[in-house]
Amino acid sequence: MSSHIANETVGTIKESRPLSAMLILTNIYFLYGVSLLTFFVVWDRVAALKVFDDSLARPSEVVMQIKMLMSMKFGGTNLWGHIWASTLRVIMGFSLAAVVAVPLGLFMALNKYVNAIVKPLFDLLKPMPPIAWVSLAILWFGVGEFAKIFIIIIGTFVPCLLNSYNGIRLVEPELYDVVRVLGGNRKDEIFQVSFPASFPSVFAGLQISMSIAWTCVLAAELMNARDGIGFLIKRGMDTHQPALVLSGMILIAAAAWCTSQVLTLVERKFCPWQRSIDNL
Amino acid sequence: MPLSSAIEGNGMEKLIKIECNDISKTFIQKGTVEVPVIKDVSLAVHENEFLVILGPGQCGKSTLLRIIAGLEVPDKGFVTMPDGPIVGPGPDRGLVFQGYMLFAWETVFGNVEMGLKLRKVPKAERREITMHYINMVGLAGFENHYPHQLSGGMKQRVGIARAYANSPEVMLMDEPFGQLDAQTRMFMQQEITSIWEREKRTIIFVTNNIDEALFLGDRIVLMEGKLPGTIKEEFMVDLPRPREHTDMELLHMREVITERTELVL
Repeated sequence: MSSHIANETVGTIKESRPLSAMLILTNIYFLYGVSLLTFFVVWDRVAALKVFDDSLARPSEVVMQIKMLMSMKFGGTNLWGHIWASTLRVIMGFSLAAVVAVPLGLFMALNKYVNAIVKPLFDLLKPMPPIAWVSLAILWFGVGEFAKIFIIIIGTFVPCLLNSYNGIRLVEPELYDVVRVLGGNRKDEIFQVSFPASFPSVFAGLQISMSIAWTCVLAAELMNARDGIGFLIKRGMDTHQPALVLSGMILIAAAAWCTSQVLTLVERKFCPWQRSIDNL
Repeated sequence: MPLSSAIEGNGMEKLIKIECNDISKTFIQKGTVEVPVIKDVSLAVHENEFLVILGPGQCGKSTLLRIIAGLEVPDKGFVTMPDGPIVGPGPDRGLVFQGYMLFAWETVFGNVEMGLKLRKVPKAERREITMHYINMVGLAGFENHYPHQLSGGMKQRVGIARAYANSPEVMLMDEPFGQLDAQTRMFMQQEITSIWEREKRTIIFVTNNIDEALFLGDRIVLMEGKLPGTIKEEFMVDLPRPREHTDMELLHMREVITERTELVL
């Protein structure tokens, strides 16, 4: 679609004005291309000239590495197994946190007593970076699966709760007046205004949580794991294979992007009334 | 004056639909500062009357309307309707908001339908009434649009339809056209006039715009331009509709009202 528009623009320019350098230079799709091409060329040159000695792989080497990973087993598991191991941890930790944090945040906003009980604890724990819990998690739960999921729960809980809470707290109070004037009661205020009005904020919290979940799973897997993308990166570091480290980085970005897209789709389903913001 | 007593006017007997008795309201700001907003306001509104409350910004006119709506409780005095005193908001009084206050997550249909849904009107009946009022405000074909897809004028049409769909006996309108551009505003004034003529209701319309007041009202209540707000004077506008903003008699009345107030409206 976009290239079609781009081609059309360039095409008409060629016909009407022979000297169109300025128009090509200001074509945004042209600039997208220039930007990406420059990045890869600079990367390739920096790697080829051994600026970081042999610790930076060239783009072509990374592509080869990923191809290789697809066809062979690594640490007893193939590539999809590693991606799935990380994704499963993310989904588990994220879901467990969201299932508790979102309703709790909504309750806090709706009931001042719930708020008075939860908020002080929450404010106490809020500023602590989730990664600070890694050592404690290992002491408590050993190096097993749950320690990793625990880190993700800790990391994703805060934004889930905070955004749900704010989602309701920031509702325009006059909207409640509308419900009351139309003949509604407190229950109607909550179900017709509070909840639907908070959805976009809840989903914003879920999106933030999802990206934090990937940070946490990576941190946990770097500490200790026998599978997962973090394991690939760690192995690449230990055996000095920069191509493997970069492959892992790219794979984790791709996986994080996919989960974020899934969330966006769910949000569209739940909030079809949201003004869609493209390219964000 | 006792309730539902008839008073003489234009040779017709008019039922009093809403009566404010000696209402005062003081807000407390920043914990301690008392701000008297309205003081000793008494007002009787007749059935099917188009009453305009005219006053500059910050004269307590919106607070008076919110008290009538039942959203604020007066410190002194009370508001009565033929069925008894007002104790809270209720579907017998519809409110149109200055800031539209549409439910962003509902379509035009969902917004207009809301009051009927809250009052558990059966679905088929709900649909019929909702469509009737969407048509009435000229939004047929837009029922599946969301508020963000509508212009300001269209949004307020939804607000008006939503209030009407609930079949209130009294319509309260709080500067409903305040956010519209001049052109749309004049168009909406004509619209609300024709709606009022078709679906007779008692309307209490708050505005700070003297031309709007003269174009719409049977009677204009002028409120004082400083707090606490009090009713300064009343004017009957006994001109046939549809009116013209440039009508000589209307312009004459405009002059009279302007003379009575030190503020530019």
